[in-house]
Amino acid sequence: MVGQMMTNALSFPWVMMIPLLFSPLVYLAGRLGLQTTVWPQRSTLVRALALLAVLAAWMPFVFSVQTFLAGDKQEFAIGTIWLRVDAISLLLAGTVLTLATAVMLFSGAYMAGETGEEKYYATLLVMIFMMIGLGCAGDLFNLWVWFEGMTVSSYLLVAFYREQPASLEAGMKYLVQSATGSVLVLMGIAIVLANAGTLDLAVLRDHGYGESASRLALLAGAALFIIGFGVKVALVPLHTWLPDAYSQAPSGASAMLSGAVIAAGLVAMLRALGTIGLTADLRALLLAFGTINILVGNLLALRQTFIKRMLAYSSLTHMGYILLGLGVAMYGSELGGQGAMFHLFNHMLMKGLAFLAVGALVYGLYQQNGSCQYLTADDLAGAAQKYPLVALALSIALLGLGGLPPLAGFMSKWQIFVGGFQTQNIWIMLLVVFAALNSVLSLGYYAPLVNAMYRNSASVAVLAGKSLPWTMVLPVLVLALAVVALGVAPDLLSWLTAPAGTILVAMFRVQP
Amino acid sequence: MSGVLIVLVLALPWFGALIVGLSGGGRMAWAQHTLAVLFSTLTALAALALLFFTSSQPAISLAFGPAFGDLTFVADGLAVSLTVIASVIGALAVVFSVDYMRGEEQLGRYYFMVLLFIGAMNALVLSGNLLFTFFFWEITALCSYGLISFHNDDPKAVAGGIKALIITQIGGVGLLAGTLVAFSALHSYQIADLLAKANTLPMPVLSLIAFCFLAAGAAKSAQFPFHTWLPDAMEAPTPVSALIHAATMVNAGIYLLARFYPAFAGVPGWALAVTVVGMVSALLGALMALTATDLKRILAYSTISQLGYMVYAIGVGAVFASQFHLLSHAVFKALLFLAAGAVIHSIGTRDLRKMGGLGSKMPFVRDVFVIGALALAGLPIFNGFWSKELVLEAGLQNGPFWIYLVMLLGVGLSAFYSMRVTRLVFFGTEREHLHIHPSGVFMRIAMWLLALGTLTTWLFVGTFSVLLTHSLPFHHLEVVSTLGMVADVLFAPATWITLGIITAGVGVLALRQRRSTDAFPTLEWFDTLTESGFGFEPLNHKLVAWTQRIATILQKTQTGQLNWNILGIAGALLIVLVVLWWGR
Repeated sequence: MVGQMMTNALSFPWVMMIPLLFSPLVYLAGRLGLQTTVWPQRSTLVRALALLAVLAAWMPFVFSVQTFLAGDKQEFAIGTIWLRVDAISLLLAGTVLTLATAVMLFSGAYMAGETGEEKYYATLLVMIFMMIGLGCAGDLFNLWVWFEGMTVSSYLLVAFYREQPASLEAGMKYLVQSATGSVLVLMGIAIVLANAGTLDLAVLRDHGYGESASRLALLAGAALFIIGFGVKVALVPLHTWLPDAYSQAPSGASAMLSGAVIAAGLVAMLRALGTIGLTADLRALLLAFGTINILVGNLLALRQTFIKRMLAYSSLTHMGYILLGLGVAMYGSELGGQGAMFHLFNHMLMKGLAFLAVGALVYGLYQQNGSCQYLTADDLAGAAQKYPLVALALSIALLGLGGLPPLAGFMSKWQIFVGGFQTQNIWIMLLVVFAALNSVLSLGYYAPLVNAMYRNSASVAVLAGKSLPWTMVLPVLVLALAVVALGVAPDLLSWLTAPAGTILVAMFRVQP
Repeated sequence: MSGVLIVLVLALPWFGALIVGLSGGGRMAWAQHTLAVLFSTLTALAALALLFFTSSQPAISLAFGPAFGDLTFVADGLAVSLTVIASVIGALAVVFSVDYMRGEEQLGRYYFMVLLFIGAMNALVLSGNLLFTFFFWEITALCSYGLISFHNDDPKAVAGGIKALIITQIGGVGLLAGTLVAFSALHSYQIADLLAKANTLPMPVLSLIAFCFLAAGAAKSAQFPFHTWLPDAMEAPTPVSALIHAATMVNAGIYLLARFYPAFAGVPGWALAVTVVGMVSALLGALMALTATDLKRILAYSTISQLGYMVYAIGVGAVFASQFHLLSHAVFKALLFLAAGAVIHSIGTRDLRKMGGLGSKMPFVRDVFVIGALALAGLPIFNGFWSKELVLEAGLQNGPFWIYLVMLLGVGLSAFYSMRVTRLVFFGTEREHLHIHPSGVFMRIAMWLLALGTLTTWLFVGTFSVLLTHSLPFHHLEVVSTLGMVADVLFAPATWITLGIITAGVGVLALRQRRSTDAFPTLEWFDTLTESGFGFEPLNHKLVAWTQRIATILQKTQTGQLNWNILGIAGALLIVLVVLWWGR
């Protein structure tokens, strides 16, 4: 009994440590096999180890969830570094692990034979470690360190195709803009430290800053956090790196970036803003950013013919919806917060699925034929004839992103909208109606893609397309199933989203 | 029992959709046809059985959590009658499709969408939870999109589909907003709660809900000013047009208004707004049908017009008359569309200018089309006559007189255009020599049954009235007996006025044709006006063009220049600082 308590209480660090420990193993397996050249199957080993790492991390995660559901506190100290696990940490970890499992399985065939394949997996594992750590960071400085760690590992993934100038350019833009954001965050942290004398998130949340703190300085700190982390969250107009980065990265990495990294950035921003308080000053700003993101993302996606770029822009829109939910939560509606957290998870499922399905098509239509082109909307014509399952999954992802029932995206958007109307604030209600109209606008670019896939006359690319391995189709199908399941039974995840929403409201000390 | 039947009318079509959708095409096409007919017929039988188990109480209740409420299904008279219409006419459209869609590619996708559509419509009307009404509302929009653009290699079909989707979805936002307002005020999604507690809501809140729902209903039922999507939806295969116009889709808007009439009747201006929307739609639809030369478009315009009569009836408080006209219209419009489909299938064109004199070559289709057209014109003993009279009588008694006059004019116009289209297709001289394929036996079965229905459904008005009266506690309807209705209609002076107007409409047509030999006189300004949907077509195009232009301009902000990007970050920081400082 005591032994089990111990394993449960200590399980969360293992969720992080397993990917980290496996990372050098994966790298070494790839490099050593390369040098000795005795072992032609080394790439299989690399893939298997990477997948194993993620699968193994699930076990302590389940234990940790059990501990959480039992209501036990999970706090760990490694030296002076505190990890505090709450519903948001678990939600982020679950988001990352779900997507990572699918991506690892998917990438097997996609990345096979690429130079530096082992680096891809090793970097991905480090990035997973960093994101899960970010979710439970106990103080502001460590939060920044995790955030930087995640960012650095993601540069390597964006610029993975190092022979291609476009890929390097995307990586460069991403690097410079992210670094700018990081500097701003660091300045914000300095302001907090100067005013409070501590960076501990729990202390800051419980005791605040006292009378001596300058309100103006705190507002400046909040602005620095919003803009600094906002680069990663892709707030308009800080989003300019995103379409390049998403479309140049390997599809598996695009899925991770759009589904998990952006979400981790948001969690970091929330934790940091939570230390500042000043909810009444900040909430309208978050709503404004949400609204602009929804509109600009949709409009930019509307005229886009390259699918991956279109999906990248649609991430702006969905971050907008999540911000809308958060803003609503800061007006006192717990449902809005729950909806935001639910949408964060659903967006991971849907966008991850969309990028993986598009990646599968890129693989079948181009990569296997030795060409590296971007997938356009016209290429999709008739894809359902040759790839019925992938086309179905991509349709589910796109319609889910467009907010149609019975898919997950409908349910979480609905929850956010309900939260908005619960505030009884006429402006927020109008914003919700605006957001709903934007969902209709987004169908203007999602629906034609779905329609094109079911056309009778197939595009040249589809006619020449090669078949797909099951390791690509399976993760896509499982994610599609999850999107449908959460649409039909939205309560499946409320054990996690509901406490996460409560934490959000508590974090911002909302006085309704 | 009603719980089981409700599950059946939902599960049978959806399960069937999956089975048919997954069964392969090619040589297995016969299996797909058979399965689709089987599942849709079973659905229709289950729906008919449900007629005997109506109740105002929820038969099924499932908990979905605090943000979504309980999913309940209520099989009351209003819901069940619409379920029967959707399922039975849907089944006949499927039977018709066996011949019509023979040899088409991707039958699996077609039947999947059709069956999903029927099931979603059933769920929409049976749902006792507003959120799930919206949920299924969206699914019907999705199905109509998929079916309208079924021939998706044709850009016109793709454009028609997306237009229907976007316009009905914009209206759908009204339903969403209304539902959310109701939920935030009542903390319940149950329709029964909204109907029961409507009086306790503050008037601004209630009127917000009422007008939001009016927008949603108008968009779904192709009423003014959202009427532009329905004519373009004609790119769909013809059985789908029958499905959209008679069995599903457009009925949903009427349903929404009829369902909530008792709650909103007291909202100042709402009833008048509904009446005016109905009037304008009835008139515009009829005017657009006058000179059109596309067989299916004429029928589409007439749908807008006839739906206008139903909306008008609700506006003047005659919920029963509106539902009765909905039933009649569903039957005769399905008949007209299927007969038109038989014509189009036989000769391969929808253009009236190429038709003429087809009656002698396809007498069966001619006979059933004439029956449908006479019902549409509102001539006696056909079902359209009785229901239209009820609507007009209620309008004369309870509505503004000038609106009644406009509706009378609409009756004359509908007599004119329905006789015109019949004559141009089946009678007169042959304008172009066309090769004719005979229509298949499944087509005939479907048309024959609908023709029978057009002649007889009005006999069930008494039963229909009992059905609605007994299970709708909030609507306060009075029981009407069939004999009473007949006597009522026959002895009302309004009936004879209407018949006079109808005769005048037919007379004008006859007179005009005797005077001129040209079957298609052009009246330039009038044609431009009707083709542009009375100016709303260009408005749609402008909105789309503006949106696209803004999008194109916005694309230029994505410069790809790192310096500009960093400037964006710095600028945003500055703005946020200023805003926070200013809002301090």
